[in-house]
Amino acid sequence: MEKAKIDAVQLFVLIVLFELGSAMLIPLAIDADENAWLAILLGMAFGFFLFLIYHALYKYYPDMLPTQYMQKILGKYIGWALGFAYSIYFMYASARVLRDFGEMLLSVAYRETPLFIVNLLLMFLIMYTVYQGIEVLARTGEILFSLLYLFAITGFILIVASGLIDITHLKPVLEEGILPVLKVVVTETIYVPFGEMIVFTMIFPYLNNPKVARKIGISAIALSGINLTIVMAVNITVLGVDLTKRSQFPLLTTIQSIQIANFLERLDVFFVLALIMTIFIKITLYFYAGVIGMGNLFKVEKVNQLVYPLGLVVLLISVSIASSISEHIKEGLKVVPILLHLPFQIIIPLILLGIAFLKSKKKSKGSSASDA
Amino acid sequence: MPIKIHRKRNKKLSKKERIQKEVSTFNIPDEMLSDSLKENVEQMKKVTGNSSDLKIRELKGNDFVNLTAVYIDGLVNNQFINEFIIETIFNNIEPYPDLEENKEDLFERIYAEVVASGEVQKFSNWKSVLQELMGGSTVLLVDGISTALVVDTRGGETRSVEEPGSQVSIRGPRDGFTESIQTNISLIRRRIQNPNLWVETMKIGKVTQTSVAMMYLNGIANEEIVNEVRKRLKSIDIDSILESGYIEQLIEDQTMTTFPTLFHTERPDSTAGNILEGRIAIIVDGTPFVLIAPAIFIQFFQAVEDYYARFDIATSIRFLRVLTFTISLVAPALYIAVTTFHQEMVPTRLIIAISAQRDAVPFPAFVEALLMEITFEILREAGIRLPRAVGSTVSIVGALVIGQAAVQAGIVSPAMVIIVSITAIASFSTPSYAIAISARLIRFLFMLSAATFGVYGIALVFIFMLVHLCSLRSFGVPYMAPIAPLSPSNLGDTIVRFPIWAFTQRPRLIGNKNNKREGPHQKPGPPQSRSLKTTADDQGDTS
Repeated sequence: MEKAKIDAVQLFVLIVLFELGSAMLIPLAIDADENAWLAILLGMAFGFFLFLIYHALYKYYPDMLPTQYMQKILGKYIGWALGFAYSIYFMYASARVLRDFGEMLLSVAYRETPLFIVNLLLMFLIMYTVYQGIEVLARTGEILFSLLYLFAITGFILIVASGLIDITHLKPVLEEGILPVLKVVVTETIYVPFGEMIVFTMIFPYLNNPKVARKIGISAIALSGINLTIVMAVNITVLGVDLTKRSQFPLLTTIQSIQIANFLERLDVFFVLALIMTIFIKITLYFYAGVIGMGNLFKVEKVNQLVYPLGLVVLLISVSIASSISEHIKEGLKVVPILLHLPFQIIIPLILLGIAFLKSKKKSKGSSASDA
Repeated sequence: MPIKIHRKRNKKLSKKERIQKEVSTFNIPDEMLSDSLKENVEQMKKVTGNSSDLKIRELKGNDFVNLTAVYIDGLVNNQFINEFIIETIFNNIEPYPDLEENKEDLFERIYAEVVASGEVQKFSNWKSVLQELMGGSTVLLVDGISTALVVDTRGGETRSVEEPGSQVSIRGPRDGFTESIQTNISLIRRRIQNPNLWVETMKIGKVTQTSVAMMYLNGIANEEIVNEVRKRLKSIDIDSILESGYIEQLIEDQTMTTFPTLFHTERPDSTAGNILEGRIAIIVDGTPFVLIAPAIFIQFFQAVEDYYARFDIATSIRFLRVLTFTISLVAPALYIAVTTFHQEMVPTRLIIAISAQRDAVPFPAFVEALLMEITFEILREAGIRLPRAVGSTVSIVGALVIGQAAVQAGIVSPAMVIIVSITAIASFSTPSYAIAISARLIRFLFMLSAATFGVYGIALVFIFMLVHLCSLRSFGVPYMAPIAPLSPSNLGDTIVRFPIWAFTQRPRLIGNKNNKREGPHQKPGPPQSRSLKTTADDQGDTS
């Protein structure tokens, strides 16, 4: 752990940017058709629940990283191994998002450029940021947050002004009942983006005022969930369900359809900017969590010494993770949620919380017995 | 082999020692004065190499002690020496009885009654005497006494207070700092007439012995920052300080950056405003540029006039400045990106026009832009360095070279000329030269990234710049404050400028806990009663 503190506002913007990153760009929950917005909102509700689990763990050990308290909860060896697995998981996740980003960029603008180069450049930026530490990342987040919302509000006004929105695209609501929506929630939206909040267990110990963590977390998830809902609803009202489903990046298609006064058109650049800003924060946070975890497990005093070697590892993983974009997406949709997200985001935290609860109960019993 | 390495290391050490020795030979001998006047005068001549500007005036009379006044010509106020030292001594001292026994008595009399100056000190070691002498004081040596009287007679030719050259404003005071530290301190003191305005002076520079003053408001400036500034200034060990730039480079937090982490100004009103916000002014003798610490990024966009104009105007101009700064950073880069990668971004007719122009140009957009930017930078540099009479020639040649000949010769396209000119004008409109010049450097990085990766490259460099800016600190204060970290109560003086009556708080991160700036209900308004009006109410406005 580095000696640094972030404040409540910074945690808030980091959570919002993190949640919006990549989730804002992909056709999130589109399997629920017209009810995608509902699936996102329900996912958000489950997201609150997951966040409360993470927060409860944080409350038991407010100044410890998960890699430390896992060793307290599960014993030195199992805890260490689990912490190691988590660090790897965070780094793998950062490599996945990096790959997502590279593929997006190649398909949107740079068809001839090698993936490796695109990823390399972003990874250099991320390594530089992580090297500077969490405080710098948090401050950068504050500025990017205001820029992003500036873009978002401008974009929203432009979409409304160009008269693209057709509310009938959102109908019928719940044509086939709630079950298909719930299925999408359970298989998709819980994990991405809301379950990804697990990464913030690595960030909470840096908070200067632990009391506000819960309030900040809940409100940040609510804001990002509502924003994602709005984005998806706008996408569907502008494009219709079919087009949204077929589009790789519905937000991009939506932005491309803005046309005002024969002058404001083809605003792809804003999409690329929003994409880079949010994805940058997302990968950086994942990578930071991985680096801090590794540094903590291997007792490295200057954690930022690990940044460049681990960064290169993430870069190489991001390129070699899949041989093509379709393979990458298939892995992302079918394999990763079940094999990685489900245990790492839900099952293990639940088990940890259970054991921590029992331990604390035993402890308080023991202490009260000794008091008596 | 190891022996060799060992020897090398030894050699290095001895070199270091030698350098230290060299520096120390510049030190003035730390000996006591002798009680023989002749010896003292000889010693003084010896130490100064009998320099021709060392004036030694012997004052001799019948039955009178031998007195000698020594001063450096040009540093002193000659009239003052003639009237209040030499004349008063001649007038006041009558032949003294039993001179040999009462020398001490006489000396005390001269000190207490005769020399009519506000500042007279006694020194008996050479170091202080010579230091004061070189600072413009007059040294009075009395035969038989091993103590010298040092009279403050500083004066001589200095530039008078003029309008500052580098920070012009339409509304606001016209005075600017000069090269004299006393004048500069007094200019600030005249604006803040408060005993809590504290000044600490120190000599920095082993050889030059330059006076450096720290000025801050006690109780408003953060003590930790004051201590930090003092510590950094005290730890400077260098032979010379010729300008405040020396100090700036020796005390800044981060050296690997193009952004200035200390603010410098030529305007006393700007300095006073900064001191009132809890900052510390560092005034260096011999330069009109006063350093201000800690500095934050947004400060470089604040011109003094912002505070003198009304808030709506000031806010719009702030916006304009941030916009022009952005333009001066990315305009050429955007042009390159658009013409090489993202032609679809521009309306079709415009892109056709641009490509028609570019058709005749033999270079890719990046080379074209680089060519023009470098030409422009050369012209600008030449314009600054040349004597004023020739300077205008440069601008004519430049206008012809950039404006017409290059386009007609088909080397660059007219659109490129427009872009470069806009960039140049934009960079001139940034109020602080220090930040404009760093934008000039970063612009080339943006151009390079745009040439290789289009908008993606620009965005990457932009975020890189943001991260870098956020990583900077100036005396512990985050550079991007109050935006990141956010302190909402101070946002009123950033990209927007709130009305003066809404500036209730001093910058939170810079000042002390004492942050309250103004009382409640400062918003002005029309009078509650209509009693100020001369007409009766029932007559209405029209009557």
